[in-house]
Amino acid sequence: MTAFNFNNPSRQSVKGIVVIFGVSVYKVSKGILIASAALLLKYLQSGKGPDFTQPKFVLSIAAIVVFFLFIAILRFLNFKFYIREEYFFLKKGIINKEEISVSFSRIQNVYIKQNLLQQLIDVVSLSIETAGDDKTEIEITALSRPKALALKKLLLVGAKEQGLTESSEDSNVEEEVYFKASIKKLLLEGISENHLKSFILIFAFLVGIYQDLKEFVDNVEFAERFREWFQLESESMMALLLFNLTLLGILLVVSFFFSMIRMFVQNFNLTVLRKANGLEISKGLFNKINLGLTSSRIQTTTVSTNKLKKALGLYKLSFTQAMANKKQQLKFSIVGLNHSQIYELLEQFYPKGLNRLVRHKPNIYIVYKRLWINSIILLVVNIGLYFLPAEFLLLNLIFLLYIALNTYYMYKKTYYHVDENYIVLGGGGLIETISKYLEVHKTQAVEIKQTIFQKRRRLASLTVHSASKSITIPHIDKTEAVEISNFILYLVESQNKNWM
Amino acid sequence: MFSNNQIDINTLPSLEELELIPIHKNFLYILIINIGTIFVGAVGGLTFARWVSEDDGFSHFAFYLQGVLVVVGLIVMLIYYLGFKNRKYAIREQDMTYTHGYLVTKIITLPYNRIQHLEIRRSFLARKFGLSTLKIYSAGESGGDLAIRGLPMDIAERQYAHLTQIINDRV
Repeated sequence: MTAFNFNNPSRQSVKGIVVIFGVSVYKVSKGILIASAALLLKYLQSGKGPDFTQPKFVLSIAAIVVFFLFIAILRFLNFKFYIREEYFFLKKGIINKEEISVSFSRIQNVYIKQNLLQQLIDVVSLSIETAGDDKTEIEITALSRPKALALKKLLLVGAKEQGLTESSEDSNVEEEVYFKASIKKLLLEGISENHLKSFILIFAFLVGIYQDLKEFVDNVEFAERFREWFQLESESMMALLLFNLTLLGILLVVSFFFSMIRMFVQNFNLTVLRKANGLEISKGLFNKINLGLTSSRIQTTTVSTNKLKKALGLYKLSFTQAMANKKQQLKFSIVGLNHSQIYELLEQFYPKGLNRLVRHKPNIYIVYKRLWINSIILLVVNIGLYFLPAEFLLLNLIFLLYIALNTYYMYKKTYYHVDENYIVLGGGGLIETISKYLEVHKTQAVEIKQTIFQKRRRLASLTVHSASKSITIPHIDKTEAVEISNFILYLVESQNKNWM
Repeated sequence: MFSNNQIDINTLPSLEELELIPIHKNFLYILIINIGTIFVGAVGGLTFARWVSEDDGFSHFAFYLQGVLVVVGLIVMLIYYLGFKNRKYAIREQDMTYTHGYLVTKIITLPYNRIQHLEIRRSFLARKFGLSTLKIYSAGESGGDLAIRGLPMDIAERQYAHLTQIINDRV
């Protein structure tokens, strides 16, 4: 047996007070961030800064801190959990008392997470995911790591003894570290990210705060300084262009580092353990997460890469898993895998002949549709360009080239495959390549969609809904869409296999 | 008993041969009334705003906006009217199908062994017309639920009972 006794009600680690306190302070400060920033701006504009040394400031802040600390201690004292007769019990609440009990048989998964604060004081949080209802949320925010691991083991073993989880895994079997992403790999992954995405993200963010930003720029007389710097005379076209180009350049560099750092922070120390019934992934720099992936509960699997990553031999594998609890819905992804590792993992989850893919092509209409939509976008862009100097119209050449190549590769990479086990969909564009996998018995519903444009060509798109993401086979013959639906429905209805 | 015969796809029960049952025609009135309420409300609100405001520019702008709203409202009603005949459903031994939509026609089929729970809903108007909505939920995260709107109350209730029976027998 484990060294920890969970039969008697126990509290979290005392450090839990710090975590609860930290979390509530974080929540509150996030909530009043905008208000306080606005106040600060007001003060700065009025010229006289607030006097923080005034006793009423100090006292009120101290009072707030003490209040939160008090609440945190009360929460800590009122938070108890224990295990009794195949049930996990949790009691919490200061004024509104809450008592939650979960039968082991309903436990789907147990997660161990660690945010920055928890890392600093060396505790982990443990959350229990249950089947069947999305209201109960069970999270113990501060446990020592060994205790959390012991509890996790107990809960999962208990669940297995009930014979209700499908795992055939023997807990004595050594877990094998399958993959560990090195720093170098992560750097390469970061460099080869689609920086355009981060660019758009940052750009959207800047547009969002444009008004405030404008004030700031005006205040520091940015444009003036810039003009002096480059010794530009007046508001000539050239000056404006150079100014904008420099801004663009800065933005590009920022987005490069943004995607780089994000990749690094999210996937730091990515480790994949391979088990008989799935995988266990742990990763993260500030927010460490540790999650289990059970094969039977995987819904869709996506393999993605881009031109650069492919050249470097980098592939990403993402999973969606059926969750009873929407809040706990997580996307699992493993970056930095090489081609043979991807193949091995796919083989583990989709063992029945994935190598015999028959790649059917969608109708050529998919190309026409893409070209139509792009033409409309191009038209709108050109209306904008019309107001700029004539040289800008040359940009159209680049756009046209991009559209042509992107559409060509989109068609080239798009395919679908349906057999009695799997639905596979390929896609992508000039840069990216994606393939998605779904087991047929994970189907929840099938949907045939036909727009009035498709109707004239007797085409339709087929969407297969799973318990997480759906997969859409685009623009195939209507009769074929119906046939595939019939086939999928037949398989789902005749086999009565569990989808979770 | 184990068998592993080859499946001839052409002999499988087909969605195309389904005899689809239209929903109750009174539901069209509900749709029209619902759309009408929204657009009449918007036009009415603008009229009120014009009456309150003393700005000529705004008054002009609001007038054109009202014109646009009336036209859009009529087009929306027309689309719903044209699409109404597509609102049909069918019940088989193993699954349930619902079709709807005019600009985009959708045929959605939900196998009974994927039903999570059922629901009958009645809006105020639907009650007046004696209609109900039967909602069938699957575990689909991104859609995959089925809502048959405009069923006569007794049919909805019978289907509800029938499906409940199936779900209960399943376990």
